Amino acid sequence: MISLRGVSLVYRNGVRALDDVDLDIEKGAFVFLVGHSGTGKSSLLRLLYREAVPSAGAVVVDGIRVERLRRSKIPQLRRNVGVVFQDFKLLSDKTVWENVAFALHVTGTPTRDVMRQVPRALDLVGLSHKSRMFPAELSGGEQQRTAIARALVNNPKILLCDEPTGNLDPSNTTEIMELLLRINLKGTTVVVATHNQAVVDRMRRRVIRLEDGKIIADEERGYYFRGLGQTSLLSG
Amino acid sequence: MDWGRLRFFLGEVVSNFTRNAVMQLTAIGTVTVTVLLLGTFMYAHQTLTQLGSGVLSKIEISAYLKDDVDDVKARSLSQKLAADARVASADYIPRAQGLKEMVDRLQGQIDMSLLTTNPLPNAFRVRVKNPDDVNAVASTIEKYPEVAQVDYAADVVRKLLRATDVFGRVGIAMIGLLLITAAIIIANTIRLTVFARRREISIMQLVGATNMYIRGPFICEGLLAGFIGSLVAVAILAVARFELAPRLFESLAFIAIGAVKIDEPLLAGELLLTGAAVGFVAAWLSVGRYLRT
Repeated sequence: MISLRGVSLVYRNGVRALDDVDLDIEKGAFVFLVGHSGTGKSSLLRLLYREAVPSAGAVVVDGIRVERLRRSKIPQLRRNVGVVFQDFKLLSDKTVWENVAFALHVTGTPTRDVMRQVPRALDLVGLSHKSRMFPAELSGGEQQRTAIARALVNNPKILLCDEPTGNLDPSNTTEIMELLLRINLKGTTVVVATHNQAVVDRMRRRVIRLEDGKIIADEERGYYFRGLGQTSLLSG
Repeated sequence: MDWGRLRFFLGEVVSNFTRNAVMQLTAIGTVTVTVLLLGTFMYAHQTLTQLGSGVLSKIEISAYLKDDVDDVKARSLSQKLAADARVASADYIPRAQGLKEMVDRLQGQIDMSLLTTNPLPNAFRVRVKNPDDVNAVASTIEKYPEVAQVDYAADVVRKLLRATDVFGRVGIAMIGLLLITAAIIIANTIRLTVFARRREISIMQLVGATNMYIRGPFICEGLLAGFIGSLVAVAILAVARFELAPRLFESLAFIAIGAVKIDEPLLAGELLLTGAAVGFVAAWLSVGRYLRT
């Protein structure tokens, strides 16, 4: 579903965000990207929805060479890739319903389909009863669920989450991670960039660790820290 | 596009349009002033041009014959003139008729009893089909041995037309500058809207809205500003034309202004189109630059 080959990304200010990264993520996977701030997690995600273009290498998403995509084809890619951020990026003057419907309206979806798809997305994230509320009236977890509903309402094949729980307390964090898991079980490929150790350790999914723009570890059923399982066994 | 989508789109346009009311009014006002000037200018220019060419087409060439030319010679000259393809009519005016016409024309202005003899020569009054041929025909006539003198007022009219032409060019240049100013103000207004909505725009881009779609409401905003501005101008011009102009024409009765035919609805349409086009282009450029970065 996602494939990176020899990908480097150097920003205009000279910062090397990614350095010769190779990576494959299969369809339906649930993957964590971990590492300290500024190690390239967000940059890697940005390459996948063509917010950034690699300085070298190939980025393939759902069979499409993303870095070669013509500007006019970018919207098509983004309808296939939902993105969720730490700061939710909701429109404060629109209700929950309107925020979710916005993603459909601006992609020219017929009203009939909007009326069908928005309730489905709100139901999935468990916010049907709050559809008339404004973001300011919601908890952080509910706001993030609204953002997830918006990311999913177009039925994308891939959901990218950049620190989705960064602004949330532990109980809201659990709530969001369970939601992401449910979404993954429905067949959506989910990639979560995080530095929330508790989340990663509890979920026991594939963990890709970045440091200074390089992948330094890639483990199935991994922990936040490489080999932490063994250490904790020893210490426990 | 179904009703729901149209409503969403119009909602976007209206909220854009009302977001910077003061700037929007400035933009509209600029368009109004510009289109007002453009309209007045176009009207004046068309009027002058029509007056000029109207006079020119009525220009007669008077060809005065030498005293020793008798009637027979005059009639053969008449046939030669009539055979010329450029000539519309060539009337022979014997000196007696010429005097009579002059007396009629100058009735009350000059004491005709002072004239003891007829000072006029026999003459031809020639009209041409195309005003542009006046000079050529006049010089042809001048070469006939029977003709003593040729007289026509074309030069004056020609100067008038040339002046109109210069007036036109200068006016167009100035109004062009005004249109550019209006466009810049509209573009700035829209840039403010774009800035105020950058968050929405970034979300639109994130969820896969096409650039065309994102542009749409802003283009409409510019179009609307241009259109409303020119609509106000056209309304003012209409009042001026149908309420004030008749009084002005009365005081200018000596000019054959009644003969001037200007297609007012067409002119109004052109002005509205100009205003809308300025708004459209300004918006297109303004948003386009933002979306490319």
